[in-house]
Amino acid sequence: MTCTAKKCGIRFRPPAIILIYENEMKGKNRQRIMPVRNFSKFSDCNRAAEQLKNNPRHKSYLEQVSLRQLERLFSFLRGYLSGQSLAETMEQIRRETTIDPEEDLNKLDDKELAKRKSIMDELFEKNQKKKDDPNFVYDIEVEFPQDEQLQSCGWDTESADEF
Amino acid sequence: MAEDRARPGELDQTKYDADDSVKIICLGDSAVGKSKLMERFLMDGFRPQQLSTYALTLYKHMATVDGKTVLVDFWDTAGQERFQSMHASYYHKAHACIMVFDVQRKVTYKNLHTWYTELREFRPEIPCIVVANKIDADIKVTQKSFNFARKFSLPLYFVSAADGTNVVKLFNDAIRLAVSYKQNSQDFMDEVLQELENFDLEQKAAGDPAPDREQRGAVEGPAPS
Repeated sequence: MTCTAKKCGIRFRPPAIILIYENEMKGKNRQRIMPVRNFSKFSDCNRAAEQLKNNPRHKSYLEQVSLRQLERLFSFLRGYLSGQSLAETMEQIRRETTIDPEEDLNKLDDKELAKRKSIMDELFEKNQKKKDDPNFVYDIEVEFPQDEQLQSCGWDTESADEF
Repeated sequence: MAEDRARPGELDQTKYDADDSVKIICLGDSAVGKSKLMERFLMDGFRPQQLSTYALTLYKHMATVDGKTVLVDFWDTAGQERFQSMHASYYHKAHACIMVFDVQRKVTYKNLHTWYTELREFRPEIPCIVVANKIDADIKVTQKSFNFARKFSLPLYFVSAADGTNVVKLFNDAIRLAVSYKQNSQDFMDEVLQELENFDLEQKAAGDPAPDREQRGAVEGPAPS
């Protein structure tokens, strides 16, 4: 079956992931309601997303929906179940999915550090040129001249003693 | 050295005295991409050895410099503060240093100062390359100046472990610098260490049992954990 995902969202009551998609019959949108069971405000959103994505009944429909998006939808549900406002949940998601450039990651424990790394890995994987890519080049040299004309990076302090 | 004796066998660093062997260390904060750079350079050829007690990963590499084969050990460590107690053995006998920051995170650039101060405490003279990683995330940084490198007259490389820009050049240059440092080393500390080791050997020849030393020599290389 070919299924083109159009939109994917979450319904809070009763909880369900809802997918709007198009199948072979072009131009006709269909809706699939996938009930969310056994999910509480203490549940792990990542695991819930994985379970749904691998569910034999829904799997083929969710191929084009990323794990990340499903995880986000479950985060909304979890926020709702814990009594947070939508704005609070969105702020929480933003905090959990972006890197604070000022944060000193040397001070984190392994688990927290792994979280930050997985956020950074997203961009890494997006920009990564892999060995089996057809236009892969092992040794890429690009010159970036460092002369006096350059604008400062803005991270150096004014005083001459510090950098 | 005291730190060697503390864990006999695990970190045998005597091999770095051999002519064909160099040690290159990687410094920098957590998550600046040190391991990813290593992996991009070594591709499939890497066989890292993990020493979890030290949060240390050793990458072995064979290079050719001026027609000669050189065995290179890259030492890659976690930037996390709780591992700072291993730093002395980490710097011990290093011939070059690759010091990395993340162009997207100012704090990793600011911390270069701490890393560099510590490096110079243990290794006052070894060549050091400053690496601005993750330029794929923001290519505009390559048109900016970073005073840290300029202030200490260190070479600055703009690289990306993701798309590969300048990674191979960085490591090949670091290896060349390490080899040339080793050949022309005038590091006072190196000479002192060499003297101490000769002294040790003489003592041993004279019949001193020195049990901890013998034990250390018996185990070749670090055991994977």
